[in-house]
Amino acid sequence: MSKRTLYSPSRRQFMQTAVGAGMGLLAGTAPFAALAQPRGELVVSNWGGDWNSNVMKALETPLLEDKGIKVRRDLASAPARKSKLLAERNLPRGSVDIAHLTDADAYELQVQGVLEEIDYDRIPNAKHLLTMRGMDNKYFAPWVYSGVELIYHPEKISAPTSFKDLMNPEYKGRVGLIDQIYFNYLYAFSLVGGGTMGNIEPAFPTLLKLKEQVDPKIYPSHQQLVAAMQSDEIWISANYKARAAQWEADGLPVRGAYPAEGGIAIRFGVVIPKRAPNKDLAYHYINEMLTPQACRTLAERTYYAPAISNVTLPEAVAKQVQFSEEQQSRLHVVDFGYAAKHQPEWLEWWNKNIKV
Amino acid sequence: MNEAAHRSLLRPRGWTAATLLAPSSLAVLAVLIGPIFLLFRYSLNRFDPTVLMVDAWSLDNYVKFFSDPFYRDVLFRTIYIGVVSTFVCLIMGFLPAYFIARTRSVKMKSILIITVILPLLMGNPVRVAGWLVLLGDRGVINSALMTTGVVSEPLTLLYTDVAVMIGTISVQLPFMIITLQSVIESISPSLEEAALGLGASHWRMFCRVLLPLSTPGIVVGTILCFMMGMNAYATPVLIGGPTFHMMAPKVYEQITKANNWPFGSAISVILMVTTLLLTIFSSWLVGRISQDRMRAATS
Repeated sequence: MSKRTLYSPSRRQFMQTAVGAGMGLLAGTAPFAALAQPRGELVVSNWGGDWNSNVMKALETPLLEDKGIKVRRDLASAPARKSKLLAERNLPRGSVDIAHLTDADAYELQVQGVLEEIDYDRIPNAKHLLTMRGMDNKYFAPWVYSGVELIYHPEKISAPTSFKDLMNPEYKGRVGLIDQIYFNYLYAFSLVGGGTMGNIEPAFPTLLKLKEQVDPKIYPSHQQLVAAMQSDEIWISANYKARAAQWEADGLPVRGAYPAEGGIAIRFGVVIPKRAPNKDLAYHYINEMLTPQACRTLAERTYYAPAISNVTLPEAVAKQVQFSEEQQSRLHVVDFGYAAKHQPEWLEWWNKNIKV
Repeated sequence: MNEAAHRSLLRPRGWTAATLLAPSSLAVLAVLIGPIFLLFRYSLNRFDPTVLMVDAWSLDNYVKFFSDPFYRDVLFRTIYIGVVSTFVCLIMGFLPAYFIARTRSVKMKSILIITVILPLLMGNPVRVAGWLVLLGDRGVINSALMTTGVVSEPLTLLYTDVAVMIGTISVQLPFMIITLQSVIESISPSLEEAALGLGASHWRMFCRVLLPLSTPGIVVGTILCFMMGMNAYATPVLIGGPTFHMMAPKVYEQITKANNWPFGSAISVILMVTTLLLTIFSSWLVGRISQDRMRAATS
């Protein structure tokens, strides 16, 4: 791995940095200091839509592009981007420098030998990363986290208290599920049926019962689910706490409720593919991503909790974003090894039994 | 130029023919046959969630597909959509194609052709998105029905079989019209006039003269539409929603979501072979019917 970064510079980079900093000091002006910034082109693989806009506003535009780094974006759904990274794993040179994924996606890619082990010595800001139970950051640099909880229409029903409420026959035809995050329903109903994150077998009969009792509507994406909630088509679902907070802030009739079984944790962050052409800039990207400025802006825009400890959020945002200590203690962490091994058969089961 | 030289110029042989054919043949070999062969080879491999693909020579993926009622239903649904949408396009497309072909004003003909091909200027997903706007719970149709008091609750128009059929037909119809129009245009109107002049009714003239002579257009249009219907992706995904299963979205799902490349490849091969066999069969059938009609007309 090349070690030429701002933090462990080559002779040329050292000279550039020294000259830039010296001239900046001499002239006392910012433009000269900018000479010390790494430059070049970085290919970022990311989800599209509002997530990408928020990443651009919180991180890429102010902290990279405005400082002379050219960012090219490769936007698609996670499965499509993961397939691309997999297909490129045997090529001498890949096309992506850094990819935004979830922790579970990163685990799968790591098992398949696609990812670079992250050298945290090259990321000074990583010393503020929160330690989370059952999660390691060897191949995945987390940025934000949240948890799956209940979401409901406050004008139609009172606050639910358990994932079991999704099975309430009174809500027949008013329960919505999102195909994109089907695995979260397997985890949630595993907990309802007495299972764990390492054994979700109880989820299957419980979800069949749910289908029989409430005939849930399946929506392709978050946007379609919230539109259905807005038009009173559905009254209850399960989704990320961050999504509920974001929709509530947008004035939509959506509230979040923490389930008695506990939430299901999810982290969003970045990985560096082994075949990344510009790893130096990828490390610089992660370091900038973990600055309080980037984390705060993203939290304010998306309501996902920052994965670093040295950021102060506005009180109103903090209240919406963060989990209480008691909630944190009941947040379930996915057993990634178990999930990666069984995910294809879970998808098939979901398709054949729920999506019909 | 003597006759032999003229013939050889028109129909090059030997090295000349090989040189002229080589670039396109190599391109087809590289970008079409190569990947198909690779897909077939992958389809014989085994899937392991941790290493993805294990080298093997096994028919397990094909056995899994045909022995599972879920996947058989997916195949039958795909064939159903392909066949019905093609048939509807043929019925709906013939009259507009005939009208355009027989329009005498060049200006009007150009306007009509542009109108037909206008939807093709934008991508399929964009057109499908238009149907989402029309058919959604808060779409144009439901809004109109609710505003006028026809219904009090929005009708479920999206995520239904009918919606997918409408969307698929809307994508295929311009191809059918343009193909039929070009063939009908080459049929001399005097043949129709002769049949009518000899006392045939319009229906008889259509069955005995126009339809048999339009066979090349019908065959090509049918093949085009059927292949598009069988391989539809954006329409079933966007209009059919998560509970509507067709073959092309299943290929994508197996390869990207499940990472099961061997099974995804097997579904691709089954889709290609089914499309090919049904296309050959339908071309043969249409040709046969047309020949019978011609024979009946001349006897």
